[in-house]
Amino acid sequence: MNLQTIINKYECYVYTPELIVDKKIAYGFCSDLMSDALMIINSVQDDNILSQTILITGLATQQSIRTAEMLDVDVVLLVRGKIPSEKVVRLAYESKIMLISTKQTMFNMSGKLFQDGIIGITYNESC
Amino acid sequence: MLTEFQIIARNYELAGRASSNLKKALIMLNVSRKNLKRICSASYEAEINIVIHSVGGFMTYAFYGDYVELNFYDDGPGIVDIDLAMTEGYSTANEVDHMNGFGAGMGLSNIKKSSDMMELKSSPEGTHLRLLFFLEEYDASN
Repeated sequence: MNLQTIINKYECYVYTPELIVDKKIAYGFCSDLMSDALMIINSVQDDNILSQTILITGLATQQSIRTAEMLDVDVVLLVRGKIPSEKVVRLAYESKIMLISTKQTMFNMSGKLFQDGIIGITYNESC
Repeated sequence: MLTEFQIIARNYELAGRASSNLKKALIMLNVSRKNLKRICSASYEAEINIVIHSVGGFMTYAFYGDYVELNFYDDGPGIVDIDLAMTEGYSTANEVDHMNGFGAGMGLSNIKKSSDMMELKSSPEGTHLRLLFFLEEYDASN
């Protein structure tokens, strides 16, 4: 599924319109806990997976952006209509992270994306 | 060349700044994406640890061709029981830390998994975390 399709289908608000590119999204991970995101996504060894991954979170702080940046994931989707501060949006631009938001809850959004064929990232035990 | 960054206690706005700078430096040095990800994740967790648990400190990073060395120093109050702190899920973090997405007790174990060598020394006067990442070996084995 393409990012632009996700944005249109789920009426996402785009906080970083100048960064948006219509790339393929095939994988997702959702958490409010950045340590979990760091551990699980860090265990993925295939760069192609990461370049097609979306991080779904209810955490509208700079830490979501920083975490995505550290993991080479460049799309962050905020759920429950969370509004990031200007500083967060500025950091997203600086870090080249595409920041979008939906009014859907995390569970519903994840479930719908799963139905759309987006696969969840799982922990790679070998790492 | 050794680069140093100050880390300020309880300051979530600046948390991650040092690790972000480290990532940019490693990209300039053509470090592989796989290495980048694990080094920066470990660095970020360690940086957050100083923000959450200490009265403040600093980090240094240096690139030695085939390996990267990170050092994190803080001025206390130290880790009472290192083995317990290394246990996944154990944390002394508070509500503010949780609201910022951290403090679940995964930091040190994540750091250990991501690095090739980890040394942790702590006393009430401060904590020193030293991490090494061997770049070529990791690229060859993954």
